[in-house]
This record gives sequence, structure tokens and C-alpha cells, in this order.
Amino acid sequence: MQSQSQSQTAPPSPSPYRPAEGRYDEMVGADHQPREHWATLSASLAELDAEELLRRQVEADRLLQEDGAVYHAYESETGPWEPWKLDAVPVVLPSREWTSIEHAVSQRAELLSLVLSDLYGPRDLLRRGLLPASVVFEHDGFLPSCQGIRLPTDHQLFSYAVDLGRDESGAWVVLADRTQAPSGSGYALENRNVMSQVLPSIYRGADVHRLEPFFRQLRAALVEAAPRGIEDPRIVVLTPGPWNETAFEHALLSSRLGYPLVEAADLVVTGDGVHMRSPGQLEPVHVILRRVDASYCDPLELRPDSQLGVAGLVEATRRGMVSVVNTLGSGALENPALMRFLPDIAQHLLGHDLDLPCVPAWWCGDETELAYALEHLDELVLRPISRAAGKSSIFGAQCSAAELDDLKRRILHHPSRWVAQAPLDLSDVPTLTPGGLAPRRNVLRSFAVARGEGFAVMPGGLTRVAPNDDPGPISSQAGAIAKDTWVIASEPEATGSLALLGGPLSEEANPLGSLSAGAAENLWWLGRYAERTEALVRLLRVVHDRRNEFHGSNDVAGIATLNVLRDALATVSDTQRGMSDDPWSEVLSMVTDGARAGTLAHGIQALLESAHGVRDQLSGDTWLVIGDLDRGLSGIRGRANVRAPELQRSLQRTLQGLLALQGLGAESMMRDLAWTFLDGGRRIERALQMIGLLRGTIPSAPAGLTGSLVLESVVTAAESIVTYRRRSRLHWHLETVLELLLLDEDNPRSVAFQLKQLALDLGAVPNPGSTRLRSDQKRVLEATTALRTCDPSELVGPYGGAKVAELDAFLAGVEHQLREASEAVERDHFLLRLPQQRITGEIR
Amino acid sequence: MSSKYKITHRTSYWYEANVSASYGRMRLLPRDLARQTCLESSISVDPSPGDHSQYLDLFGNRVDYVSIHDPHRTLSITAESIVEVQAAPPLPLAGNVSWESVRDGIGRIGGDEDVLAVQFSLDSPMVEASEAFEAYARPSFTAGRPVVEAVLDLSSRIHRDFEFSQSATSVDTPIEQVLEQRKGVCQDFAHVGIACLRSMGLPARYVSGYLETDPPPGGVRLVGADVSHAWLSAFVPGAGWIDVDPTNDQVPGHRHIVTAFGRDYTDVSPFSGVIYTRGRTSSLEVVVDVLGLE
Repeated sequence: MQSQSQSQTAPPSPSPYRPAEGRYDEMVGADHQPREHWATLSASLAELDAEELLRRQVEADRLLQEDGAVYHAYESETGPWEPWKLDAVPVVLPSREWTSIEHAVSQRAELLSLVLSDLYGPRDLLRRGLLPASVVFEHDGFLPSCQGIRLPTDHQLFSYAVDLGRDESGAWVVLADRTQAPSGSGYALENRNVMSQVLPSIYRGADVHRLEPFFRQLRAALVEAAPRGIEDPRIVVLTPGPWNETAFEHALLSSRLGYPLVEAADLVVTGDGVHMRSPGQLEPVHVILRRVDASYCDPLELRPDSQLGVAGLVEATRRGMVSVVNTLGSGALENPALMRFLPDIAQHLLGHDLDLPCVPAWWCGDETELAYALEHLDELVLRPISRAAGKSSIFGAQCSAAELDDLKRRILHHPSRWVAQAPLDLSDVPTLTPGGLAPRRNVLRSFAVARGEGFAVMPGGLTRVAPNDDPGPISSQAGAIAKDTWVIASEPEATGSLALLGGPLSEEANPLGSLSAGAAENLWWLGRYAERTEALVRLLRVVHDRRNEFHGSNDVAGIATLNVLRDALATVSDTQRGMSDDPWSEVLSMVTDGARAGTLAHGIQALLESAHGVRDQLSGDTWLVIGDLDRGLSGIRGRANVRAPELQRSLQRTLQGLLALQGLGAESMMRDLAWTFLDGGRRIERALQMIGLLRGTIPSAPAGLTGSLVLESVVTAAESIVTYRRRSRLHWHLETVLELLLLDEDNPRSVAFQLKQLALDLGAVPNPGSTRLRSDQKRVLEATTALRTCDPSELVGPYGGAKVAELDAFLAGVEHQLREASEAVERDHFLLRLPQQRITGEIR
Repeated sequence: MSSKYKITHRTSYWYEANVSASYGRMRLLPRDLARQTCLESSISVDPSPGDHSQYLDLFGNRVDYVSIHDPHRTLSITAESIVEVQAAPPLPLAGNVSWESVRDGIGRIGGDEDVLAVQFSLDSPMVEASEAFEAYARPSFTAGRPVVEAVLDLSSRIHRDFEFSQSATSVDTPIEQVLEQRKGVCQDFAHVGIACLRSMGLPARYVSGYLETDPPPGGVRLVGADVSHAWLSAFVPGAGWIDVDPTNDQVPGHRHIVTAFGRDYTDVSPFSGVIYTRGRTSSLEVVVDVLGLE
């Protein structure tokens, strides 16, 4: 359709940006001219035609994909991961206006911080009647077990985010407070990273405030939050895991801040505090940057069904042995009814009004306000205070008469659980659509972090625009599109309040350069799956080639070889050999059937899962490769009519991806503990795969022509054919093959080579308090000794064939040692947490 | 009149496989109250815990926290205390105010007492107010009836209408089911009473503790045959909290010993823990002994 219209008419000229009637437009003023602070960007945008803008958008999407920037929308139909959506046109704010926003955000954070200390302390606000007790107690964010928890810092609210919108008059209004574990600052950083590449010259020319200083403030704030007396605190980022909606951001923050990303199972509370399980030892942890909802953080004192928590964490926090930020219980401030009472609270606690007004609100627990809310139900936004009343906000204007009746009934059932808010006609910002720039409503999330006596505010933030013209909430879960937010410096890097804040900006490397046991385990398995899939691809290619050569022919030796290889494929991959006579469908299934354990698709899936679990450890380029690997098989997955060249190409592409991954590991990773486990996993798997290949082929291959063909196939699958030919020309000797693939410590494909490297890797794992070899090292040493003392001629029979029983027993012995070594590594270094169970003291 | 008791409460677990770590939280020691003084108290844990501390929760209950980090196959927790309890004071005159005035005053007075009263009038994890409970409670709450009289009447009706049965419910049985089947144990009856009061708009709290029991007629007193007990407490402005025990249709006196109170059972459970193990708990034994000393 498109090509047709293009051939007949000229491409439609871009329609000029037309602001919507009656709403405030960020870019265009009442005089229909661009506002002063938009002038530069607006002129630059006018120079780029619509097509060029869309090209920049494609570029932005590509950069985001390369970085693996994703968001997990729980309701998504397209799979667990949604690409992070960023509009290629930023939103601009002038420095002068920003200074007042910054001041107001900081002021509000200060007030909320005081409210937080009161709620879990004296509860003076409740006693004085400034805040109805039921409003506090009915909100799910209020956690009674967290009574008395205090940070050693001035402010009890560590980090804060606020959603701001502009009303028709252009005035800023507070829409919502985020205090549980505010998300978005990492996405804002990613937006900036991408936009500075997509509009490089415009960005450079615009004097945009940089975001990095905010993250330095965040680091310094984390250090300040440490328990008293801890000079050199160990800090970790606690994530619910790789499947969380904002997991991308958790990994980004952890690697940007330089603190390990941990899951609950990586932490343990003992009598002297919180520790991270790290290979072979426990390391102290003093500050936890929490991205797990508080109620899930401790199965002992909070939700008993939580698997995302650390037993004893509340107690450790209560005793001040660790600082969890935001503090457990901080979600109480996200109460939508709190806004209704905040103006009076501000007067009481600060002695003056808040600079930024909240959106007008009515608490239905008050009879007059209830009456107002019911009367204006069809215009207001109704927000439940507790989950018992409902989960999401209801927009009265979008309700049918029947729905309004139902809403009224629900409110009257328990009025004090509802708060009504005036809807806000949010301002528009020009947003790229297929038809050119269009006005879209937008919300700005601003971020602040407690520093010393004040708060540091990120100069900029995360702007989100509605995906279309419909009214309704603007959130990432509802498909909103992000925008980079440019605060234009009136003078270079006028850092506002950031500069006023004293105190050191910590720039030293994180002292905890170590690794959590969970990350070590994921890296180990990443290495193992990478090798396992690589070995499988190579063997599949050989089987595929031999099939092309011999399937349906009368070549007896060729057919026999093909049979040996098919058996080997089943043994090596630990699957059942297919019943089909045609090796084709079997190969196809071995490649694409993700539901079948041992197949290539299955292995790649496992590899990707391991990679997601340690994304903070992997270099940015890794996601280029990971994305390729994910897509390598997508063309042929689930299809029955795949042709040979297509399969060949898919295998080739997958192999390329695996090799690129290997290259990144070799060339872009620090030789630290993380690398040690990745490499160790690779080495042990490569050795096991080689032994599996040898055991699966050679004992069942007779001497003679078939034997030679089998040996050639094995050496090819082992990626050693060039070396072999150089050494032996065209003669196939089992003894030479065994030398090359088993014993030659200089062949990077041989078992002996892997063991040499594995011993080095395991030697690099800390062994506190002991100089003796651990059991994993002992097993590897025993296997190495077996190889070094073996005489390959004794494993070869008089006619050049194998002494089947002896050879197999020898290989089985080495394999056994390696499997024991692997088990010892898993047992001793990953310090796995056993399954968590609840006990109660009730017999009934 | 006062009585002195020695209370022993031992909870023991046997596990199928090694437990690598145990974390426990208990509310096993009697509170100090106007009519109750805890003279001595101790908690011992076997195997010996790597960590043991005590704190006061939001409601002022004493909570012990322990954790064990050496592998173990058995765990036992023994709480011992000596407590002196006064007889119940006469019912307060303040209780003559109508139940409606109590209902309408909650949340409007300000101050500590009011904040607490609001907290205990809201739904809690195991007790939600509902029309069914309101319907059951209604006959006790006739117009203008003095609040204490209404609460005592409710307690008597629960005692009369509900059958005591160990097998009818478990710890997690929803109270709506208890109301329907009219069977349960002291925990259920306390929850039913609380749900009734809250459905009428009145604050009510859950009280856990012990009750001195008499040996069966003609029998000897068996050591360790006692159990934990539970009842409820209603709020009377100006007079504080009035306890009632629907299980025994009594106003708790010198034979009732209070351990803790909260919004419902979840706030006061005597012991709850988290363990890490591949096996299951093969057996659990709870022994409670309330010995009268004088």
C-alpha cells in the first residue's frame, strides 16, 4: 500500500505542529510562537523534515535495543519484555523555572520526611488531629512492624520522586508522591544517553544540565546513610530479580553506582548484621538500596509468604546494624489521602505553605467532603486508600451511569477508604507520531535524594507522554512513552542547589568489588550454557553436512558414520534419539524445539536467563550480542518447512553470536571474580562436552573407512581440523586424535587445556582461613593427573581402533572427577539458601 | 485479692532434615498492666541462638527475636515467668454511656487514647467487619443501651450460640466460616466478638494469654495440660479497655494472665518463625503449664 501511494504521489508533506485548543502547550505560547526556551530546539526541529525525524526515532529505538533497555509491562501481550519507548523529541525547561521547581520539590521532600519520622515515631500529627488516624492505618504502605526504625541521617526519607503536571494556566501541580522505592531515575539516565547520540549537535548546542552529578549525589547519600561508626560502608542494590518490571533500571543503577546487585537469597542476617553471600565467604553489608516493596522484605516480620525477603532484616534495621533505603515503611507516604492534609501539616511543621500546590482533593471520611465528592462523581478522579477498596484510580468522566452508581455504592460502603481528586487538564508537548509532531499530554517525574541537611534534585527528570489522545492515567504500565527532559542552563553548569550542598562527593571505587553468590552462580551457568550451545551447534553442523553427503546414498561407511553421529547427538545433548528415519526432522527438532530439554533453543533460553540475572556484570555491548542470539533462531522457530540453507544460516548466526559473546568475555571483562566464574563454567563445560563427544563416537566406531570418517567428523566438531591436518595430513589415527583432543595442553579445545585453565580459575576463588586445596580443586587436580599420566597408545588396539572398554572407562573416570568438581563448586561457592519455610507454634 | 502463677510455655520442633538457619519471633512473656505484674521472666532456646534480642512492638508487647545459624535438627523454646494478677476491678461507671456515643466519638477526640481506639476499630488481617457480623451483633446493641452491658450481652450470646470444638477450625479458618458453623475455639470466639464490635463501629482488640484451669473433678492436676487462651477487649472512653472472655462467659479476673494484645491473632501469635531446610517439620509439641503459687 505504502509503496503504491509513494509511486503515485509525492510523500505527504509534514503537517506543521498544531497545538491543541484550550490546553497549555509546552512549546508554543499563546502568541502561536515558540516559547523563548524552546526557540533553539524548535528551529532545529523545523530544519529536520518529518522523514528525518522518523529516522532519528529509528536510531533511538536501535540504541535502546542495543542497550537492552526494556520495561516489563505485566499486562503485556507481546511477551515479558517491552522495549523501553522513548520519543526522539525532548522536552525543554528553562533554568529559571527549574530553580523554582527544584526548590519546591526539595521543600516537599523535607516535609514528607518529617511526616515519615512522625508516623513511625511519636505520631503527633495523629494525636493533634492534623491527619486522621484511619487514613494512616488503613493504607497498605503503613507497616506496624516498622515502628521505631530510624536512619542515622537528618532525613528519614532517603529518596523521593514526585509526579508533576501543568494545569491549563501553566502552573505546576503535584499529582502523586513516590516514596516506596521510587523508580525512573535510571531510565532518565538511559534516555539522556540515547538522546545525546540521536540529536548530538542539538544537544551540544543547547547547554543541557547534565544528569551525572545527581548520581554522584546519590552515591554520597548512600555513604552518608550508613550506620554510625562505619567509615567505609559496603553498599548493595536489592532487586526482586530479573523479571521485575524495572529490572533493567536496577542493573543500570547498580553498575553505574558500582555496587553489587543482589537478590534476597544473596543476603543473610546474623547476630552481627547483614551479610552478602559471596563465593566462599560472607561479606558485611551496611547499606541496602531497596528496590523490593517493603512488605516483601522480611518473611519473619512482614509478609510471611514472601520469597523476595531476608529473614531478620526488620530486626537488623531496627537495631541500626544496617540502613535500608528507602526505610521499610516509607510507602506510607504514597497514601493518596495524605495530599488532602498536607497543606495544614506544612503550616504546622514548616510554618508556611508549600510552594507547589497539590491537586485539589476531598477525603470521603469527612461528611461534607463526601457529599461534595458524590455530587461531582462524574468529574472527579476517585482513588482508593487501601487495597481492600480497590487497586486503581477511577476516572468519573469515563464512567457510564451504571458504573457511577456502582462506584457510589462502593464509596458509601466504606467512605473513609476513598479520596477524590480534581482531574487536571495536563499540558501538551510535541510528540513524534507517524503523521508528524502531535500534542500529547505529559507528566514529569522529578527525583530527589537526601544530602546532609537538604535534598539534591536531579536537574531534569523522566517525562512521560500519553501514547495517544485519550484521557486517562499516564504511566509506563499503561503504555506511556518517555521523553528526555532538558533543563537548559542559562550559564554553563549552573548547578543550583547542588553546588550549595557541602560534603564530599565520593568518587572512590566501591570497596566491595566482590560478587554475590547468586551472581557467581549465574555467571558460572552463563559460561556453561554458552559452551554447551556452542558444542551443540558445531555437532549439529557436522550432522547436517554428513546428512547432505550421505542421506539416501549407497555409501555404507557414510551411512554408518551418520548413524554414529546421530547417536552421539542424542548422548551429548542428553536427549532421546528421534525415531524418525530421516535425520532431517531430528536435526530440526534439536535446533528449534524450545520445549525439549537439551535442544539448542532450550540451551539458548537458559543462557539468556542466566545473562538477565547478571546484567549488571556484563558490558553494555553484551546486549548487542544477547539480542542477536535471541533473534538467531526466530526465523525458523515453530516452522515445519524449513529448508536446508535456512537452517544452515540460523546455525551460522547462532554460532557467530556465541563467538561474539566469547570474544566479549575475553576482551571486555575485568579479570576479577566475576570473570573467574564465567570462565570456570566455560572450561568445565567445554571439557565435559569434549569427553561426551569422544565417549559418544569413538568406542562405537569400527576401524577402517567408517572409523576414519567418524574421526574426521569428531575433529571437525571439535574445531581442530586445521591443526589435525597440519599434523597428520590425510591419515586418521585414533592415537593422534586422542593426543590432540584429550591430552595436548596447547590445544585450546583439548580437555587438558580446559583443566589447566580451570585450575587457575578455581585458584583465584578466595579460600579464607585455609591454604589447603578445596575439594573442587582436588578433583580437578586428580583429573589433570589422570590425563598427564595416561599413555594414549594403551587405549588404542592393534589395528588402530579403540580398546573400547578401556577407553570408555578412562574417559568415564575423568568425567566423574569433573562432575564432582562442578558439584563442589556449586555447593561450596554459591552458598545456596535452602528452601524457606514458615513455622508457627500452634498445634490445631 | 491477688494470685501468683508460674507459667511455663515450651514449643519444640523436630525436623526431617538439617535446618541451616532459623529465625523466630515470640510474644511469650506477660505484660505489665495495671492489674498484673510480671515478677520474673526468661526465654531459653535450644540449640543456643547466635542472636537474641527483645523489643516492644507498636502495641507495647514484649517481643523476643532469636536466630540460630548452626545446622540443627531440633528446636525448642521455653518461656518461663512468674506473674502476679489482681482480681478484676468493678465495672466502671463510665460504661454507662450509650454504645452509640462511643461509636460516634471515635476519631474525633484526638490524643493517644483516641488514636489507639481508631486503630482497633479498623479491619485487620484476620478480622473484617461485615453485614453478617453486624446482623449477629445487632440484638445486643439496642438503641441507647450502655456500652458495657451490650458488650457483656454479646459475649454471653457467643458463649451460648457457639460450640467449643478443637476439630472444627484451624489457625487460618476465616471468621465468616466460624460464624456460619458456630463452632470453634477461644481464638475464633475472640475474633467473632471483635468482628461484631467493629461491625457496630466500636473498637475492639484481641488479647492473648493464659487461664488457670482446675483439675477435672476428683482428678489430680496434670502438669503441662494447660493451653494458651484468648479473649477480647472493648474500649470505653474515660475508663479504658474492658476485657470479656466469650469462651467462658466471664469478665477476666485473677485467673486470666495477659501476654499481649493487638488487632487480631496475627499481631500476637506466641511464636512464628522462618527456617531454611529441604525437609519438613516432622513433629511439633507445645506444652503449657500454669501453676498457682499461692
